[in-house]
Amino acid sequence: MSVANTPGRLRDWLVAGSPLLLALALGVFPLLTLFVESIGPGLGGENYAEVLSPLYRGALLYSIGVGVGVTAVCLAVAYPITYWIAHRCPDRYRLIALVSVTLPLWLNYVVLNYAWVWILARGGVVNRILVGTGLLDSSLDLLYNNISMGIGFVYIYLPYVVLTMYVSMERLDYQLIEAARDLGASDVRVFLDIVLPRTLPGAAAATLIVYARIAGAFATPEILGSPGNVMIARLVVQAFRQYTNYGFAAALSFVFLLLVLGTLGLGALSPRVRRELRQW
Amino acid sequence: MNALAVDDLRKTFGGEPAVDDISLTVEQGEFFSLIGPSGCGKTTTLRMLAGLLTPDAGQVMLNGDDVTDRPARERATNMVFQDLVLFPHMSVAENVGYGLARSGVTEPERGQRVEDALALVNLAGFGDRDPSDLSGGQRQRVALARALVNDPAILLLDEPLASLDRALREDMQAEFRRIQRDSDTTFLYVTHDQESAMSMSDRVAVMRDGRIVNVGPPRQLYTDPQTRFVASFLGDATLLDGDVIRREGPDVVVQTGAGPLRADADAASYAVGDTVTVAVRPEAVTLGGGDLTGTVTDVAYKGFYEEATVDCSGAELVVRRERNTAAPDTAPSADGGTDLPFRVGETVELGVSRAVLVRDERR
Repeated sequence: MSVANTPGRLRDWLVAGSPLLLALALGVFPLLTLFVESIGPGLGGENYAEVLSPLYRGALLYSIGVGVGVTAVCLAVAYPITYWIAHRCPDRYRLIALVSVTLPLWLNYVVLNYAWVWILARGGVVNRILVGTGLLDSSLDLLYNNISMGIGFVYIYLPYVVLTMYVSMERLDYQLIEAARDLGASDVRVFLDIVLPRTLPGAAAATLIVYARIAGAFATPEILGSPGNVMIARLVVQAFRQYTNYGFAAALSFVFLLLVLGTLGLGALSPRVRRELRQW
Repeated sequence: MNALAVDDLRKTFGGEPAVDDISLTVEQGEFFSLIGPSGCGKTTTLRMLAGLLTPDAGQVMLNGDDVTDRPARERATNMVFQDLVLFPHMSVAENVGYGLARSGVTEPERGQRVEDALALVNLAGFGDRDPSDLSGGQRQRVALARALVNDPAILLLDEPLASLDRALREDMQAEFRRIQRDSDTTFLYVTHDQESAMSMSDRVAVMRDGRIVNVGPPRQLYTDPQTRFVASFLGDATLLDGDVIRREGPDVVVQTGAGPLRADADAASYAVGDTVTVAVRPEAVTLGGGDLTGTVTDVAYKGFYEEATVDCSGAELVVRRERNTAAPDTAPSADGGTDLPFRVGETVELGVSRAVLVRDERR
């Protein structure tokens, strides 16, 4: 293999290698520093011991629960939307429909959260309509609970799920649905036997994109959530900024990362998901 | 009893009728083809029969039951799609057994029927394969088995052979015919390929612009086409306009640009002086010793025969001559050189052994 030592070969390695190196550095280096920080000082592991105390365990599990729940709701909402846009909507309205569903992507994240404060507050739009039309005597407390937080989450992350799912849904051959109907499948069977398996890669990709971001979100639970239900991001931020306990904050982040990877791995255990993923 | 009876079926897209009041009946066990050029409404008709498209008006009866308002899954029809659309995430056996599972047929009966269906299409033992591992012809057979296994009142086929190359297509035509006989299923086959329709079908309906213009056994449609369109769509035909100059028994003699031609007609319906159209098949044109004379303007080599376009005083006729492949082109044969190829500019004498009167299909 004399070719391996020619200057051309070396140049190829440099051209291909430098961006890869940059990507690795950007992705791995901060994680590495964070990890070194988390096990210090003195390789004690006390940081990790503290993370597993009941207070933090609760926040971690709650965050994972919110992540799973909101992702599931997003998928459930995105399925009919993308099915309609890809297979029912007349061609010329398709782009408009897609753009209007994904419009929130272009607004500032924090502003989107405050929009819901304005809508759900005691003097907000919903309460004013309900009281104004005489449906209610007095305003309802709609804000600062799991529902308002959930609404905010779905509103913000649905566009990502819709865009990702749409690609899969559009590639689903509508004739497969017709063939299934022709063979006697009800609407439920068509969904379970054709639509779901053919769009599972899209659902998996959407989950990869939004699940960890929801579980680790900071702004939405702060702005719309209940003060009593603490999600992991607040604890990490507190550790960094209030207590300046970097080691603990880093340990908390790593345990969270492992949990996220663990739950995603759990999903990949399903043989159906694995079979679909292999086709990527 | 008729497996299928369609009455005044109509479908309009954006004001244009795609299917314009068609009626037809297909008998139990018949191989019936619906043929016509692209856009004539044949696929629209098929989709309405399958229940995948709602007709604007008309009635569809299957085995005597009115199914017009029933969705696809409640109809005893099954379809073989043009693109086959096998379920890519299911094995061959799961594909074939899908319809049975949906109608509640349980194992082990389902497995047995799937096996029988695969055996019928010569794919015994292929059940565990994925559709993507199969060749085009094999996928074709799976699609057929997936529909046939449900024992439909009528099997609807939407040009399933269109994507195959010629040799495979001819094999599959013979297979379709055999499978249709062996399974004793009624077939309704839609295609724009008149050759395959004629070779497979018991009866053929020719469609044009959303209407059925002629129905009958292939031989009858070929020899006695009723309209200009049918004459030229089913095989080659020369169409000559002319006036009826006299009647001879059941025939009429028509003065065409090429000369007088005697044509089959229901003589009663034509009077002397009527302007009519005569269709002449190339094989009905004989070479030498006829009443017509013309000049060869074009010669086309077609393999075992040769085709010459002959200009007979302004009207063009097509004549064919079989080639004697045993003798080389240049060697004169005993009878004075009829094995020589046609030459452009050569003068030939033609006779017409059979011509039929056709009408314009516009109503």
